[in-house]
Amino acid sequence: MKTSDENVPDLCEFQEDNCKKFVDKIIKANRGVFMMNSLLEKQMSGYDIIKEIFSRCDVFLSQGTVYPILYALEEEGLLHAEYSKGDMRSKKYSLTPRGRAAAEKDIEDFAKSLEQISFLLKRGY
Amino acid sequence: MLKNTINGLDKILFVEIPKGSVILVTGAEGTLKSGLVFSMMANHVADNNEHGLYVTLEQNKESHLRNMNSLGIKKESNLHIFDYQDMRLEWMNSELDLITMTEEVIDSYKDKYDNLTLFALDSLNALYSISEYGNMRNRIYNFFTHLRDEGFISFLIMESAQSRIAGQISQFYQTERFLADGTIELGMIEGKGGVKRYIQILKMRATKHAMEKHQITIGDNGINILGPIY
Repeated sequence: MKTSDENVPDLCEFQEDNCKKFVDKIIKANRGVFMMNSLLEKQMSGYDIIKEIFSRCDVFLSQGTVYPILYALEEEGLLHAEYSKGDMRSKKYSLTPRGRAAAEKDIEDFAKSLEQISFLLKRGY
Repeated sequence: MLKNTINGLDKILFVEIPKGSVILVTGAEGTLKSGLVFSMMANHVADNNEHGLYVTLEQNKESHLRNMNSLGIKKESNLHIFDYQDMRLEWMNSELDLITMTEEVIDSYKDKYDNLTLFALDSLNALYSISEYGNMRNRIYNFFTHLRDEGFISFLIMESAQSRIAGQISQFYQTERFLADGTIELGMIEGKGGVKRYIQILKMRATKHAMEKHQITIGDNGINILGPIY
């Protein structure tokens, strides 16, 4: 789950088939991991995160499912929020040191879980 | 579960409100609607291992907390406040479906906190004023159904067009009154001793309650409900 473009599989290739449906469900159900992943490189607003996940993954996370997670992560001390300089309309979130550690662990565990599921399915449990 | 959350509430509410009830809290401005609901929720979650969600459309979280603080009501860590300020500012050029969004917000908090048992929306008027009106009656019916299905007690705050001093109840919002399981009215009444605030339970399905108007005051220990007022 790296964020640089060359390491991210082009999820649009799944568009044409049944995979899109599963990718959509997996990303929506684990949106917190994807949101934290977006924040690894730079600070972002809720708006930026939704746009980024849409452009990278072709999955639209609705506002009502994203902002509660941002507020909860901020409350837990995993995110720091501040208004952009000169723009009080946009609150930018960044990972705190504890948040970065939690994000990296979650992303790694999530990727391992997907590999595990793939392995189980291929092996024919 | 709420009968003992406010000093004197048991004078007007004789048994507990059933889970899954949707209750309207109506009244003119300044009649303690938000304070009453927030106080009940805060006191309940303070004594129980449960969570509450207070969604405010009218104010941001900080402003709401300042108001509650001025009434002597403290926020508990398991009472969560969600405001729409950031969302509305960042998406100001997009049309937001606030009813669907509120349902998503509830679902998100429910995913996070298994024991979410209380919900409040402050206010229905604000929800209407920034929502598309198309098919609103059906949408509000479905919204009420969604709240009931969640199984928690929900409070929907609704400012009535009633005059400050007890007068005729507005004919607006009759649909909500009909659909709701309970209606708590807050108001002000002028008597010889000056203007007093009152609380009256107009309706509470499956719950024994008083019908009289009772005086409601704010003291050092928060909100108190006193005897009947005439």
